[in-house]
Amino acid sequence: MSTLVRRAAVAVVLVSALAACSAGGSAEAEPPAEGESAEPSTITVEHAQGSTEVPADPERVAVFDMGALDTLDTLDVDVVGVPKASVPSFLEEYTGEEYTDVGTLFEPDYEALARLDPDLVVVGFRSAAAYPELSKSYPTVDVTFDSTDFLAGLEESAGTLGEIFGKEDEVAEALAGIDQRVEEIRPAGEAAGTGMVLQTSGGEVTMNGAASRFGLIFTVLGVAEAAPDVASDPHGEVVSFEVVRDANPDWLFVNDRDAAIGETGGQAAEQILDNELVAATTAWQQDQVVYLDGERWYIVMHGLSNVEAMIDEVGQALGA
Amino acid sequence: MTATAHPGTGRAVDGPAPGPATPAPAVAGGLVRPADGDPVRRSDGGRVRLADGGPAGSAHGSSTRPADGGQPQPRPSRLRLRLGLLAATAGVAVLAGVSLFVGATEVSVGDVLAGDLTAAQAQTLVSSRVPRTLSILLAGSAIAIVGLVMQLLVRNKFVEPSTAGTTESAGLGLLVVTLVAPALPLVGKMAVATVFALAGTMLFLAILRRIQLRSVVVVPLVGMMLAGVIGSVSTFLAYRNDMLHTLSTWMTGDFSGVIRGRYELLWIVGGCAVVAYLAANRFTVAGLGEELTTNLGLSYRAVMALGLSIVAVTSAVVVVVVGGLPFLGLVVPNIVSLAMGDYLRRSLPWVALLGAGFVLACDIVGRTVIHPAEVPIGVVVGVVGSAVFLYLLLRRPSGAR
Repeated sequence: MSTLVRRAAVAVVLVSALAACSAGGSAEAEPPAEGESAEPSTITVEHAQGSTEVPADPERVAVFDMGALDTLDTLDVDVVGVPKASVPSFLEEYTGEEYTDVGTLFEPDYEALARLDPDLVVVGFRSAAAYPELSKSYPTVDVTFDSTDFLAGLEESAGTLGEIFGKEDEVAEALAGIDQRVEEIRPAGEAAGTGMVLQTSGGEVTMNGAASRFGLIFTVLGVAEAAPDVASDPHGEVVSFEVVRDANPDWLFVNDRDAAIGETGGQAAEQILDNELVAATTAWQQDQVVYLDGERWYIVMHGLSNVEAMIDEVGQALGA
Repeated sequence: MTATAHPGTGRAVDGPAPGPATPAPAVAGGLVRPADGDPVRRSDGGRVRLADGGPAGSAHGSSTRPADGGQPQPRPSRLRLRLGLLAATAGVAVLAGVSLFVGATEVSVGDVLAGDLTAAQAQTLVSSRVPRTLSILLAGSAIAIVGLVMQLLVRNKFVEPSTAGTTESAGLGLLVVTLVAPALPLVGKMAVATVFALAGTMLFLAILRRIQLRSVVVVPLVGMMLAGVIGSVSTFLAYRNDMLHTLSTWMTGDFSGVIRGRYELLWIVGGCAVVAYLAANRFTVAGLGEELTTNLGLSYRAVMALGLSIVAVTSAVVVVVVGGLPFLGLVVPNIVSLAMGDYLRRSLPWVALLGAGFVLACDIVGRTVIHPAEVPIGVVVGVVGSAVFLYLLLRRPSGAR
């Protein structure tokens, strides 16, 4: 119902814009049009770092955030530039010839961007720091969100992109699908007992709590935190194996960071965790150790299809 | 700093240059002794003469700055030294005890004494606490000792593995071997890291030999610049291979992963420390310069080679197992030699104890502040150590050496 209204509104704006153009480009704009409507129309988008005027339905889009890329892919939006080195395997087509490599997840390659001349740049999480510089040259939006309320954050980031490309309906639809899956899985999460999210990297173990990027396991899917007083830091905290043994989680969710970013040669998570202290936990004894898909949980983190896959992964592990 | 503490601080390894020749005879007077026999076994008479070198040497220092810890030290009597060592040992033992009972799991002294430990508590002690405390003792004392050995060999008080490029080289070695031969067992990786550490240290010495050193501070500066260069090579390699985060995890000392089965390689550095103690007198002599060493019938090259090997092996093993412990090898030996000069055999036990105690204290702090999570020890040691380092740099009167 409301979507109909929204579509009608868009149509009205478009028609009036056309009317303005056909009126011979006179300085007199129609009363209801906001700003000058003579040039290609723009919309103002609110995002994590303020508001930006972006062209309505931009055509040349460069994306620095893999979650945003996933959302755009789901929404069938064409993209011209991505940081190719970090594209996850399930979005592999974006490493093809027809796409331009625009740097890394953290650092834009400004020359490549200049050649590409995008009319929209999307940054998020790792690339958010490049926003001030990028926004000088291109309409740029930042889809970063605070993961303490993960679903609200997803709605925000996907909503921003949906708004720009006029795909609010598709976004709403995908979000509704995710909500439904969450409702299916949550009872299993609540019944699963306690859980703990560990990340291994270079032989070191950090624990990640509800505020972390893995927090949706607790906040959305209802698994109880085995050690709720630790790990307020979004990047996790260094813990000894004693903490794991003591908290005695029923479920261990493990992200092998080295594997997630394609590092070889380090110790695998299985190797690091295979010790007598971890072996004393219920999770280990009952074989309830879930190795998360690092690309999805660590690299991409959000995105309409990715989040669904993430919660499905947990759901399957919990037997929901 | 007493003159005994450092005869030719400003000079590089290349022997008695014209520099500050004055203190040399005085010190030599005191230190010839260890070369021709083991003073520990000597009668009190021998030790008196040896220690006399202290006041004689420090007279030089005290002329500029009497209050400098170098005031004519009333020679610490044998008994007082023994008592002091005993007290220090007791202190470290207490800290080690605390370390056994601090951590995520509640384990109280009372429970242990009463003998009613739960299985979980017993497991914590045996597989986590004891290994951790042992590894701290081993790594802490070894790095401190290696710092002192290095300071004698390079003849500069501000040198230690992390200010001479040794630690960085070991890290580069570990990175390279991980990239080239990831399947190599840990011992093999460690061997490669050792070779790199040795090469880096020799490069440092070669650079020192070629440049004019006008100030004591230049030597560590050169070392830190070299460390920076080597570090940037590592960073570049790591960047190209997406290993930046892993590299920084490696280079930051951290005992959180230490459990039974994951620290035993550190016994190698314990062995190195013993060798350093046995060869202590030779290092003391080598600290007097190449010519004097040769005159005393020692092979300068052999002593240097032994010393550098100990330094390289220790740095590499500690980097591989624990990570970097910056400034530790600098702070501890300096504090000890302020109090008792540079006669290695006498000061080594102190350096070892103080190093172990310092790391224990830092690790206990790191484990407590955000309990039950941890602040990596490399961070704590770095903060405290760099503060003391700055203090040591600044407290020296400009003219003193």
